[in-house]
Amino acid sequence: MEELIQLLKKQIIEVLNLEGMTPEDIEVDAPLFGEGMGLDSIDVLELIVLLDRQYGIKLTNPAEGKEIFRTVRTMAEYIYEHRTK
Amino acid sequence: MRIAESHVAITGAGIISAIGEGKEETLRSLMRRRSGIGRMCYLQSVHKELPVGEVKMSNEQMKCKLGIPLEKDVSRTPLMAMLAIRESMEDAGFDAVMLQERNTALISGTTVGGMDITELHFINDDLDGDTSFFSQHDCGGSTEVIAKYFGCFSQATTISTACSSASNAIIVGAEMIKNGEADVVVAGGTEALSLFHLNGFNSLMILDPNPCRPFDSTRAGINLGEGAAYIIMEREEDARERGAKIFAYMAGWGNACDAYHQTAMSPQGFGAQLAMREALRMSGLSADDIQYVNAHGTGTPNNDQSEAEALLAVFGDSLPPVSSTKGLTAHATSASGGIEAVICLLAMEHHFIPSNVGWKHPMDGGFIPCMGADGVYLKNVLSNSFGFGGNDSALIFSASPAPPAYEETMATQDENIRQSAVVEVKSEEELTDMGKYIKPFEARRMGKLMKASILSSLKALEKAGIEVPDAIVTATAYGQVCNSEHLLASLAGSKEMTVSPTLFMQSTHNTLSANIAIQTHCHGYNITYSHGRASLEWALRDARRLIRSGRCGNVLVGYHDECTPLFRRLKGEVTQELYSMSIVLSCSK
Repeated sequence: MEELIQLLKKQIIEVLNLEGMTPEDIEVDAPLFGEGMGLDSIDVLELIVLLDRQYGIKLTNPAEGKEIFRTVRTMAEYIYEHRTK
Repeated sequence: MRIAESHVAITGAGIISAIGEGKEETLRSLMRRRSGIGRMCYLQSVHKELPVGEVKMSNEQMKCKLGIPLEKDVSRTPLMAMLAIRESMEDAGFDAVMLQERNTALISGTTVGGMDITELHFINDDLDGDTSFFSQHDCGGSTEVIAKYFGCFSQATTISTACSSASNAIIVGAEMIKNGEADVVVAGGTEALSLFHLNGFNSLMILDPNPCRPFDSTRAGINLGEGAAYIIMEREEDARERGAKIFAYMAGWGNACDAYHQTAMSPQGFGAQLAMREALRMSGLSADDIQYVNAHGTGTPNNDQSEAEALLAVFGDSLPPVSSTKGLTAHATSASGGIEAVICLLAMEHHFIPSNVGWKHPMDGGFIPCMGADGVYLKNVLSNSFGFGGNDSALIFSASPAPPAYEETMATQDENIRQSAVVEVKSEEELTDMGKYIKPFEARRMGKLMKASILSSLKALEKAGIEVPDAIVTATAYGQVCNSEHLLASLAGSKEMTVSPTLFMQSTHNTLSANIAIQTHCHGYNITYSHGRASLEWALRDARRLIRSGRCGNVLVGYHDECTPLFRRLKGEVTQELYSMSIVLSCSK
């Protein structure tokens, strides 16, 4: 799980083009959206593409993303359970 | 000095869409409420699960009808436009010779342009051979194919404001007639379905796998469609002199920017309200003079909720019947404003209200669309078109010419318009200044051209001492080609599996202008010209018109383009890797 979390942080920085950020800057339990890191609805869509491309997980409704993408940890847990690659 | 004594008369129309070729077939489908949405037949996509509104004709069939050799590689976008324009000319009683004798302009709206051809070359990995196909790739190139076919236009340009492109083309055309810049204008829009935007919209998760249901509580998105539709405009006295039938008048129009989000509408549809109010103001009509509104009504949860709010805010208790015809035609994106303009004209001529096909359940807030009505006399009709980036436009068509709403005096003349600032950005190195204006986090989705356009805009405004410009008029010959190229490569490489929503969003030409509006909080007039090297000249002309008329005291004009090695090779043009110039035009009197 730790390994997945580290990898995921790197992938998030890359797909969302978070210039100047390092994996250490993202707290594993801090909210990614709203008051936390401040990601928005387009970032959700990019994270959905990330899940599909890297882990073979297909989400069909962006609303499902709300809980899954709450923090890096919730995202990693979801990937751990549902990944197909 | 008084100007614009004459009314803008509409003397012809032509249309092709999922519900038919030509006005007659379209009218029959509208009256019988026969939807053109169904299974994909002509577009070769893996996404067969998505219903679409295709024009029921192959490219070959269209070429036959147009007398174009079958072996000639012509994009579906200009082919559909040629059919619709030919009909509009016949409808107006014009032939090519008559139009050549007059100062005739073609103002066409498109965003996808010749992408249908380009994407096949990417997918088939066929980019090293003959590159002649690429001349019709960009919006302007695609319009030039249409202009060449007819050979009767003394001027032509392309408007690209995503899904409001055709409406804005009609607005520009009407302005040109009013200002004596053309005797006849053919204006509208055309857009063929492409894998590029089908996958793009899909990445935004706003395509409904079922037939769309505008304004229904269960609505779940758009069905993409295609088509082309154009109207012919001329001065009323010219039309009368040649004994032409006048179908309606362009009574008013409004263009405003939501300046809220790149793809979503603000909850109250602020930009939409501004556009409708401006159109009403110009027409001298009040809300209760309008008998029908053809809504943008795409079927996305966001659009329909915001548009309903905006309609209620503008019309209040006098809200007339409203319907979206996208349950019939699907959403033909850049062509939709043209298609819906012709639908409005048909409704006025044949005294009916088109049905909001697909609707069953009222949404929260109690807004209920009209499911159709017959035997109604429509004196004034309003049509909405909204595009990504909050490019919102409204058109008002009237059965009789309205008295001028306000004293139409020329506020100033060209010699009183001055350039109060000019700023250029020519290289990526200069973008390091960006940090002064925008945090890196806010710029995370911006490509180098968008950064350059915002930087030159903000610096020019700063130099001119203006915080919020009155209007933004943008020129881009090719848009953000880095994004489009990237998207095409990923489409080809992944067999249409996943594309990045950011790449798609940033590939529309008006995204630059929209983002400048968001950064400067400018809700005023906002338009994008995309017609090759002539784009800037058209943009300046538009800006001067806005200032001359007194509607704007200043206008931010921009010219922004970028290039990649592949693009340069395909286009065969020497273009700069990055170039952005912003000019502030102001009235000195």
